[in-house]
Amino acid sequence: MSDDNFFIGWARRVPSGLAGFLAGVAFGLPVMAGVLALALSASIDDPGGGAFDWDAGEQTLRGIITPLPYPLLHLAPSVRHPAGHTVLLSGIGKNGADVDAALAGRMVEATGVMLKRGSIDMMQLGDDPGLRAAPGEAALPAPVQLGRWRLVGEICDGKCWTGAMRPGSGIAHQACAELCLAGGLPPVLVTTSPVEGSTFLLLADADGGPMPAALRPLVGARLVLEGAVERRGDLLVLRLAPAGVHPL
Amino acid sequence: MSADYKPVSWTRSKAVYDSVMLVGIVLYLLAFLWIGPRLQSVTLPPDAPTMAMKAYGSCAFLMLTLVLCIGPLARLDTRFLPLLYNRRHLGVMTCAVAAGHLFAVLDWHFAYSPTPPLAALLGADTAFIPFGIFAFLVLLAMACTSHDFWLVFLGPPVWKALHMAVYAAYAAVVVHIGFGALQDARNPTLAIVVMLCTATVCALHLAAARREHRRDTSLATPAPEPPWLVAGRADDIAENRAIVVRPADGEAVAIFRHQGRLSAVSHVCAHQNGPLGEGRVVDGCITCPWHGYQYRLEDGTSPPPFTERIATYRLRLDGRLVLLDPRPNPPGTPVPPLELPA
Repeated sequence: MSDDNFFIGWARRVPSGLAGFLAGVAFGLPVMAGVLALALSASIDDPGGGAFDWDAGEQTLRGIITPLPYPLLHLAPSVRHPAGHTVLLSGIGKNGADVDAALAGRMVEATGVMLKRGSIDMMQLGDDPGLRAAPGEAALPAPVQLGRWRLVGEICDGKCWTGAMRPGSGIAHQACAELCLAGGLPPVLVTTSPVEGSTFLLLADADGGPMPAALRPLVGARLVLEGAVERRGDLLVLRLAPAGVHPL
Repeated sequence: MSADYKPVSWTRSKAVYDSVMLVGIVLYLLAFLWIGPRLQSVTLPPDAPTMAMKAYGSCAFLMLTLVLCIGPLARLDTRFLPLLYNRRHLGVMTCAVAAGHLFAVLDWHFAYSPTPPLAALLGADTAFIPFGIFAFLVLLAMACTSHDFWLVFLGPPVWKALHMAVYAAYAAVVVHIGFGALQDARNPTLAIVVMLCTATVCALHLAAARREHRRDTSLATPAPEPPWLVAGRADDIAENRAIVVRPADGEAVAIFRHQGRLSAVSHVCAHQNGPLGEGRVVDGCITCPWHGYQYRLEDGTSPPPFTERIATYRLRLDGRLVLLDPRPNPPGTPVPPLELPA
């Protein structure tokens, strides 16, 4: 290093021999930062098309509510859904829908904001109240047994995957998903290949109750799951066999 | 140098340094959060909090990479020494950006739950989160002790050892990304950037270590009369510069030439263990190349009002050969400079 290049931080002037080099660094570092930011931001993976439908505002749906394995609202057949439509329900935030036991199996009106991802719908119930008994009667869709399946996929929390968060799946989202499931939100299996036309199955235990809590730490990981698949309306439910979940 | 403690002893260089870094951070965040999303090929864009997590997290990782590259770059090419001068401010900024990542995570993945966000974070059953927490705590400890008060309070060896934990923090960050974001990534860009950064840090440190090793193993030869060592030829020492002599035992010694006289002092700066022998004499004082700390040639003491002191050594001539007594005098001991014959 020549004497002209000896830098002293407290000196008033930068050595003339270093000025050009330091100017290059001062220009190059921020430019490099910008280029790297663009490369990393533009290459982020597609988180899917799920989202809250805030534009539509609060909506009211009418159907029969069932509490197990997780609160579901079964809508009557319509032009858009000739076989009926099953809507997942959630509370606000990382909380499951709070369903009064007296409403189970009855016709209700549910008011809240919709989350949509493809053909999957979830309603985040409002609290004014979100659910109330409604007149009228309708028959619950009879469950259709689709046999025993071994599936590969990832357990997600149904709310984030449906669009409350983008992305709402994966290892980076694992801790959030565990909190969601602990709060009572429905766990779902997102499969690598379709089952009866769907890659989305609600998870239940072998008896049709909520998924065992011991499986929550497996959220986000690639798994092999075995159990009985049944169709309820247009929603598939996987009733997990005991010891039927293994890492891939 | 500062004779008393101030939050920041601003100099023009520090102001320019911090400005460039802040511009870099702002450009990065703007490019990531504003321009980058327009280039994404997605069904719907990632939500804003997730983008903020990724922007702050990746920015902190790249800044930490830069922090770790500056040291070996300055060892390999002294033109990078100005980047070393204010590296502590860069470290504090890195901690602040990492805190942005942490708060974005707390406010999204750990919010909206009956469990308090911090409790949920600490109780999270994931492999990668503990590594991120560890890295952030190290950065926080370093940022909190970055002021010279802590350097003096803890002493340079302890302070330096504490701040060497940055390497453990960097390794933890790489594991944090590897066990976290990279597990989900289908696009290889992030993996490539992380690998390139890690490889660059490793390669620069290996190159600098190899260079240092070559220097450290070239020991001074003993003179016929113990304990004197042959330091070299007086004519080989440039005016206002030094040669560094490495005894078999003890610390390296810097022998400076100034106005036809030689003075020997410790090669290690009392401030942050900087390589004094790679400095030069400015205004009659030895000046450290790292942060500009100064010492008088005749007694290794900083000029008033400063109080730093380093060890001095005895010299004598044998013809044109300079001989060094490698036994250090207590720091600040006056030793008359050795006059060179005309």
